[in-house]
Amino acid sequence: MIDIKLIEECRDGNFNNFRKLVELTSPFAYSVAFRMLGNEDQAKDVVQETMVTIWQKLKKIKTSQVYKTWIYRIVVNKCYDEMRKRKRNPEFVADEQTWGVISNMISEGPSIALENSEISKIISILTERLSTKQKAVFVLSDLEGMSNDEISEITGISKSAVKANLYHARKSISEKIEKFL
Amino acid sequence: MKPESEKYDNVLNLLRESKPVLDSTEDIEKEVIKRITKVNHSQLNLPEIIDFLFGWVYIGWVRRGLIAASILLVLVFVFQQGIILKRIGMLSKQTVINDKESVSTPTDEIEKLLMVYKNSGRRFPSKTITISEKQMKELLEKVDELKNKYKELENIIEGDPELKKLIEKKQIETNRTKINL
Repeated sequence: MIDIKLIEECRDGNFNNFRKLVELTSPFAYSVAFRMLGNEDQAKDVVQETMVTIWQKLKKIKTSQVYKTWIYRIVVNKCYDEMRKRKRNPEFVADEQTWGVISNMISEGPSIALENSEISKIISILTERLSTKQKAVFVLSDLEGMSNDEISEITGISKSAVKANLYHARKSISEKIEKFL
Repeated sequence: MKPESEKYDNVLNLLRESKPVLDSTEDIEKEVIKRITKVNHSQLNLPEIIDFLFGWVYIGWVRRGLIAASILLVLVFVFQQGIILKRIGMLSKQTVINDKESVSTPTDEIEKLLMVYKNSGRRFPSKTITISEKQMKELLEKVDELKNKYKELENIIEGDPELKKLIEKKQIETNRTKINL
């Protein structure tokens, strides 16, 4: 949880405190951005853009609880923009060898820690057919562990739409897993 | 199809446990601070200017008073300058005129006035001559005086035949001289 005092000090234009805020905020902003985009450089760009936006609009923040939801909202919106830009690029298509590697990783169990490139590969393969909304809902719910209420607030879509998107995302991913693993 | 299948859970557990690692928080910090300072420099920062000008006053109400007084002075100065410039503009458009008294003149005198104006306009560019009504009146009076004296002189000449002969002789001589020349 980020201290509201730190945010208040940042509002006064204190760069040292803002550095601290960047340090505390970047990891979870990066986590969401990377899981949604599957690309390290793009995720870093999104984090940078997010932090600049935060600096410009810090005055709007009243409590630290609002702050976290607000950051997630900015990150998700910036990811939407990136994904829209990327739509023209060809999708990553997994071959048998890639599925074999993923299968091995899973068989080793959750005790192993995957590298960023491996995480990116797996998420890209599993979510390649999902819409941007389905992908966002899946990442926020199943990977970041947020409730439907929080997701609804962050993405700006209704709770029933969150549920529906999540259902379709899970179904699509399950089908892939069943088929290839 | 049950999304809660074992394989699905295994894959999700693996992804949940493997959080994307942000290796270079410092780089993001530096880049963000760089971008923020750029934005800040490009904007006019009023509090900084006020601090620079009145930072030496430590008592709050004195500082506020000084700021208010200086703003008032600047406004008065700008207002005054505006008036002065407007006045200069008006004066530069005017061609004549010092005397405020309106002079009632008979019709024939107005005609004379117009004629003198026209003649002066032919000889000199109209913008280079400025003549007041008083000067104009003086000039017309002199012209009238000159006419009266000329009439008196004619009467004297008519009354004295010897003088008339002498003048005629002189006129003939003068004409001859002009021809000779």
